[in-house]
Amino acid sequence: MSDLINENYSLLMLLEHLNIDFAVGDKTVSQICKENNISKSVFLVVSNLYNGFYPDKGDIHSISDIPIIIRLLKNSHRFYKEDKYPEIKEYLMKLHDKHNTEDIKLIEKFFNDYFNEVLEHLDYEEQTAFPYFCQLIESESIQQESNFSAREYKEHHSDIETKLTDLKNLMLKHITFKNDLPLRRKFLYCLFELEFDLNIHSMIEEMILLPLITKVEKQLLNG
Amino acid sequence: MDKCRINIVIIEPSDIIFEGLSILLLKTGQRIYLYRISDFDELSNLSEKEKINIVIQNPVILQNRMNYFTKLKKQYPDILWFGLVYSYFDSELLNKFNEIISISDTIEIITKKLNNQYKQCGCKNNLQEELSEREIDVLVQLVKGLSNKQIADKLNISIHTVISHRKNIIEKTGIKSLSGMTIYAISKKIISLDMAVL
Repeated sequence: MSDLINENYSLLMLLEHLNIDFAVGDKTVSQICKENNISKSVFLVVSNLYNGFYPDKGDIHSISDIPIIIRLLKNSHRFYKEDKYPEIKEYLMKLHDKHNTEDIKLIEKFFNDYFNEVLEHLDYEEQTAFPYFCQLIESESIQQESNFSAREYKEHHSDIETKLTDLKNLMLKHITFKNDLPLRRKFLYCLFELEFDLNIHSMIEEMILLPLITKVEKQLLNG
Repeated sequence: MDKCRINIVIIEPSDIIFEGLSILLLKTGQRIYLYRISDFDELSNLSEKEKINIVIQNPVILQNRMNYFTKLKKQYPDILWFGLVYSYFDSELLNKFNEIISISDTIEIITKKLNNQYKQCGCKNNLQEELSEREIDVLVQLVKGLSNKQIADKLNISIHTVISHRKNIIEKTGIKSLSGMTIYAISKKIISLDMAVL
């Protein structure tokens, strides 16, 4: 495991999302997964995403993997809400303190509006989508009155990455500042890190979780 | 977003040939992303995720499957098909390809073949970022909150033209959201703060 982390330290984010301690010693991936009660196939497919490889169809096929994937997604929500977004907000406030320009005020407003949208989206997933998925794997039939489905999830799945990319491009290409490179570097690093993790987050949802949920729905519908 | 990036899919059973070809392609100076698949079936999957520009393949897999190839070309009209030839093939088959790379081609020849074909794809290699006057007109109306239809009526152009200007604005600025464009427009002094719908 430590080899993997040395190779790509972004995996630390994955470990954190899975509540795996960073002090991995000389343990192998199998051992760590076993100790933490995590399916090895899930771990491998997701860490491959962090390394830039897409999953193949059927890499994750076991319905029993759904709970761990949901746990992973929920933990990464916490990471966004309590860690990354507040960090970005703080950098922006610091930038604002030093450069009291119209541009930075606009950027701050842009970010705050965007952050609210993100919170709304994450809440929706936590309060509507995930409970539905959990209930689905435990139930034996689809309740007819349930007006929610994987398909709806997909449609609702708003594109929170777009505005983040916009923010990054505004900072990199269009808004000019004088000096403050260290602060701006930290700010940009943070945006890149968040963008990277969000991108993987939505890939997990779209390429792993959704196909699994659709499969369960089909099975239940066919009795 | 990255309009000059070329996504190339290689279908070639030999590891040695694949690796060699990859190295040469990456040396052509174009921004190339390579994907390797073992069969055409995987193409549909991949093309959902990425816009494929070029498929380079060993014609062996198409021998006696001419109709299938014609069908594929119809299915993916935007893809350029390159044959990678290191043994004899019927010219009727080879003529179906947009371009042929031969095993004896030098890096210069490969680069030339790639550039010849790729220019035809409409990639202007144009990294100019300045918005044109018309694009600025559209941007101003956009950030005022007008719809495509309203902008078309106001500027006396078709909806398609509006959409195409929008696309260019997004490509040039790297900004997709309306609120992001508003900030862009204000900071570039295209509009004043009170004109924007924030």
